Amino acid sequence: MSDDTPRRGSLHAVQPWLIPAALLTLWFAASESGAVPAYLLPHPVQIGGAAYSYLFGGPGAMPYAGRFWEDFTSSIVRVAFGFGLAVAVGIPTGFFSGRRALVNRLISNTLNALRAVPGISWLPLAMVWFGIGIQTTVFLVALAAFFPIYLNTASGVRQVNPILFQAGAMLGTTPMRRVFAILLPAAMPQIIAGLRLGLGIAWAYLVLGELTGVPNGLGAVIMDARMLGRIDMIVVGIILIAVLGRASDLLLHQLMRLCFKSARRLS
Amino acid sequence: MKSRLKLISPAAAAAPRQRILSIRGLCKTFPGTGSFQKVLEGIDVDVKRGEMICILGRSGCGKTTLLNILAGFIPPTSGSLLLDGRPVARPGPDRCVVFQEDALFPWLTVEENIAFGLRAPQRTVRQEVERFLALVGLTEFRSYLPREISGGMKQRVALARVLILKPAVLLMDEPFAGLDAQTREEMQNLLLDLWARLNHTILFVTHDVAEAVKMADRILLMDTNPGRIREEIRIGLPRPRENEAGHFLEICRGLLAKLRG
Repeated sequence: MSDDTPRRGSLHAVQPWLIPAALLTLWFAASESGAVPAYLLPHPVQIGGAAYSYLFGGPGAMPYAGRFWEDFTSSIVRVAFGFGLAVAVGIPTGFFSGRRALVNRLISNTLNALRAVPGISWLPLAMVWFGIGIQTTVFLVALAAFFPIYLNTASGVRQVNPILFQAGAMLGTTPMRRVFAILLPAAMPQIIAGLRLGLGIAWAYLVLGELTGVPNGLGAVIMDARMLGRIDMIVVGIILIAVLGRASDLLLHQLMRLCFKSARRLS
Repeated sequence: MKSRLKLISPAAAAAPRQRILSIRGLCKTFPGTGSFQKVLEGIDVDVKRGEMICILGRSGCGKTTLLNILAGFIPPTSGSLLLDGRPVARPGPDRCVVFQEDALFPWLTVEENIAFGLRAPQRTVRQEVERFLALVGLTEFRSYLPREISGGMKQRVALARVLILKPAVLLMDEPFAGLDAQTREEMQNLLLDLWARLNHTILFVTHDVAEAVKMADRILLMDTNPGRIREEIRIGLPRPRENEAGHFLEICRGLLAKLRG
C-alpha cells in the first residue's frame, strides 16, 4: 500500500473489526445459551469484569486486582530487551550472510540447525545458565526472535537487483553510501517483514520465559491463574497479549515508515 | 570532479574534435562449459569528443559486453581502454550508463533519482535538478515514484540522472528497446535534441537498424561469434533525418543485408 492511496471511507475502517465482533458475538451466544459451560469458557461479561479489575483494581479479583501495570511493565521490558538483542545481532548477521558467500557458508549450516530446536528445549538449560528471572526470559525471547530477523534480512539483502549496484557504481557512490542509500532501502520490505515476525514470536516466547516461577509478567499471570483454576484470568491474559502484540506490531510498522523513506514507499 | 560540472565551451566544441576514448585490441572471453567462449575479439575503436556512435549488431554479438567493459562493470581479458588518456578500471560518473531495463531506485521519486549522483551544495543540486527535469520534460512528475510512471518516462529519468553528472562519455545499452514504437521515436528525438544542446559523446548500442541510421555519426557493425567490428559506416545524412526519405531507407536496406549476410 502506498502512502498516497486515497482514503476509501468508513467501510475500510470497519472491515478489520468485523471478525473480532463476530467472534465476540458467537462467544456471547454460546455462553448465554449454555452450550459452552463457564468452567470451560467463562461468559464474556465475567471476563470483562475480571479484566477491568485486573487493569484498574476493584473488588472480587484478588489476588490479581490492579496488578496489570506491574505485569505489563515487566513483560514489556523483557520483550524490549529480548527483541532489541535479536535485532542488534540478527540484522548485521543477516546482512553479512546475505552479502558475503563465505560468511553464509560458514554460519548458515549451524544457524539453521539451531533454528530447528524448539524454544522450549532451551528453557531448562537457560534456567541452569541464567537462573530464574529476567535473564532467562530475555535469552529465550532474543533467541526466538533472532531467526526470522536474520533469515529475512539475509534474503532481502541477497535479492537486491544487481543492476541497482551497477547504477550506483556508475553514479559514483562510495561504499558507505552503497550500503545505506542502496542496499538497506532496497532490502527494507523484507527487513520489516523479519522484524514483524520476530516481534510476534517475541511475545510468544515471553509467555514461555515467564512460565518458570517469575513473580510478575503477563505470562506469569496466565500460569498462576491456571494453578488457581482461574479460567477467567487465563482468558484475560490471552486477550491482553493479543492486543499488546497487535499494538506493538502496528507501532513497529509505523515507526519504520516514519524513519525510512523506503519503508513508506516500497511494499 | 570540478571539470565535469562545466559544460563544454562553444570554443572547445568548435575546435577540431580530439579523441576522447580509445579502445585497442580489446578481447573478452568467458569461461563456458569445458571451453572458453570468445565474446569479443580485437576491438579497435576511437571516439572523438561530441561524437554519436552506434554499435549495431544482432543479439549475442557481445555489444552489451563491450558496453559493460567500457562502463567498468567487467574487466577485459586483454587490450587497453583509455578515456582522456587514462586507463578505465572501475565504474565511475565519467562514463554513465542508461540501461535497457528499469534501473531507477524504486524508493526514490523522480527528482530524488535525478539528484542521486550529484555531489554538490544543496542549492546547486536543486537548480541542476530543476534544469534537467525541464530538459527531459518531467517537471510535473517530479514527485512521482518510478512505479507510478510509464516506461518512456522512466527512461527519461534514467537519462536525466546521468546527464546531470556531465559524463565524458554516455553509454546507452538499447535504452529504448523496451518501448513502443511511438515512444521510442519520441525518445530518439529527445536524445538527439539533448545531444545537440549539451554536446555529449554518446555510445549507443542497438539492434535496430533504423534507430542506428537515425542517430549515428558513425555505425560500428558487429559480427557475431566472436564479436568483432566488421565494418565502420559513416552516416553523412543531414539532421534532422527523416525515416521515410529514400536515401535513409537505402542505407537501412544495405545494413540489413549486411546483418543477415
